[in-house]
Amino acid sequence: MKKIFEISLAIVTSIGGFLEIGSLSTAVQAGVGFGFQLTWAIVLGTICVIFLVEMAGRFAAVSHHTIPDAIRERFGFNFFVIAFLTVAIVNFLVLSAEIGGVGLALQFATGVSYQWWAIPVAFAAWLLLWKGTFGLIEKGVSLLGLITLCFVVAAILLGPSWKEVGAGAIPTLPDHDRAHYWFLCVSILGASISPYLFFFYSSGAIEDKWDKSYLWPNRIIAVLGMSFGGTIAVGALIVAAMVFRPRGIEELSALYPVALILTPQFAFWGFVLVTASIGIACFGAALELALEQAYLVAQGFGWNWGEDLPPASDPGFNLVHTAAVFLSALPIAAGLDPFKLTNFSMALTAASLPVSVVPFLFLMNDEVFVGEFRNGWFGNAGVLFVIALGFVLAVVTIPLQVFGS
Amino acid sequence: MNLIRDVLDKQVLDRDQKKLGKVDGLVLVFGKGPPRVAFIEMGSVVLARRLGPRFGRVVARFCTFLGGEGAGEPYRVPWSKVKDVGIDVEIDLAIADTPLDDWQEWLRKKLLRRKARA
Repeated sequence: MKKIFEISLAIVTSIGGFLEIGSLSTAVQAGVGFGFQLTWAIVLGTICVIFLVEMAGRFAAVSHHTIPDAIRERFGFNFFVIAFLTVAIVNFLVLSAEIGGVGLALQFATGVSYQWWAIPVAFAAWLLLWKGTFGLIEKGVSLLGLITLCFVVAAILLGPSWKEVGAGAIPTLPDHDRAHYWFLCVSILGASISPYLFFFYSSGAIEDKWDKSYLWPNRIIAVLGMSFGGTIAVGALIVAAMVFRPRGIEELSALYPVALILTPQFAFWGFVLVTASIGIACFGAALELALEQAYLVAQGFGWNWGEDLPPASDPGFNLVHTAAVFLSALPIAAGLDPFKLTNFSMALTAASLPVSVVPFLFLMNDEVFVGEFRNGWFGNAGVLFVIALGFVLAVVTIPLQVFGS
Repeated sequence: MNLIRDVLDKQVLDRDQKKLGKVDGLVLVFGKGPPRVAFIEMGSVVLARRLGPRFGRVVARFCTFLGGEGAGEPYRVPWSKVKDVGIDVEIDLAIADTPLDDWQEWLRKKLLRRKARA
């Protein structure tokens, strides 16, 4: 009974924690620019992340190692440095974008520009990281994130042609603006297959003391949590397509119009729901990203770590998340546009995928780490597909960034 | 035992199961008979050397500048102090006996205003 409750809670938190500035912004831009045509990119990204999250959880439950820890042990320090720097830079930019997202939500609510909110938001995040526990951050904030389900409710109320939505789940070529289409596709995949998501998941499994009895719960959480999470992103895409396109808006150059995206269905409460959704979702993601930066450093260099430990037990770990959250607030405080930063950082995430995904193929087949629980042909086919996709994205991202963004 | 696979880059735990760092390097002694492991090495200077000898020298000079004489040298644990090599490498030393935690101790004292380690 306790395990069923834990699984249910974990699924719910995965759903609530799925949407963040990257997935919301890219889904809305896709809906505005191409209607339902890019639904397939969200579906593909969600399937890929299900594979990686399941493997990250299985790896942690069986080997009692996190992914960054194992990358250092299995591939040595020289490769670890490359993976470490790549993931740390991407995390820094995404964390900055998330802080900008919270700032934008506060700007919608108060009228005070997002850049003035960057440092207060960083301080609030730091305070919660310093005083809070892993359970509070993982479950508390993610449960509040369930408010993002308003996009799914709005999508259903708008009554789209589900046949057309289904047709969008099959890849097709656009009849206009191909470079922008493919740039959005890359950004959606970057937002969905974020290394921080599956690195954080493996650290969470260690924090929650998972063992082999969690293998099935892990599978259920990965499949259901991520699928329902992806559904919210599809909901945002549908709403954007049905609200903006009939009003002649076919491209977004800022996130401000998103504040009014739910007002046709919910009037003033639509504005409140969007503002709260963006604020809570981005704040939750910011907490996870700051923690992930600390996990990455502490696990890679063998320091004491754990969000549930008092700061005096792991001061190095606490120093890293403190530095991460305040340093990432600086670009936003300096006036960098969160919308542009999000687009840039999602594309960069996509370009960095080979470095963070290739180790999965080796780690999940290493008998020393996972023994009899290593990947079968299905799991390996999935990882090989994500790796191939990662290499394609790494090659095409920069040209698309130049021509399509 | 495969030293690279089973020992290098593994987590090091002290006798109280506290995390000390990773096995950053190994020192082998060549004499009569097969080579034997004399020490495990830990610290940023060892890691920097693994990235390149020139970078290693730069980091060693920087560590000496910050921490004084001796800070630019790696910390060495005699192999005889290694108790167990499994998922982690366990050594028969307490973290307080090593200089590896000094910088975190400094953070405890200066930033957290906690009592110094016993």
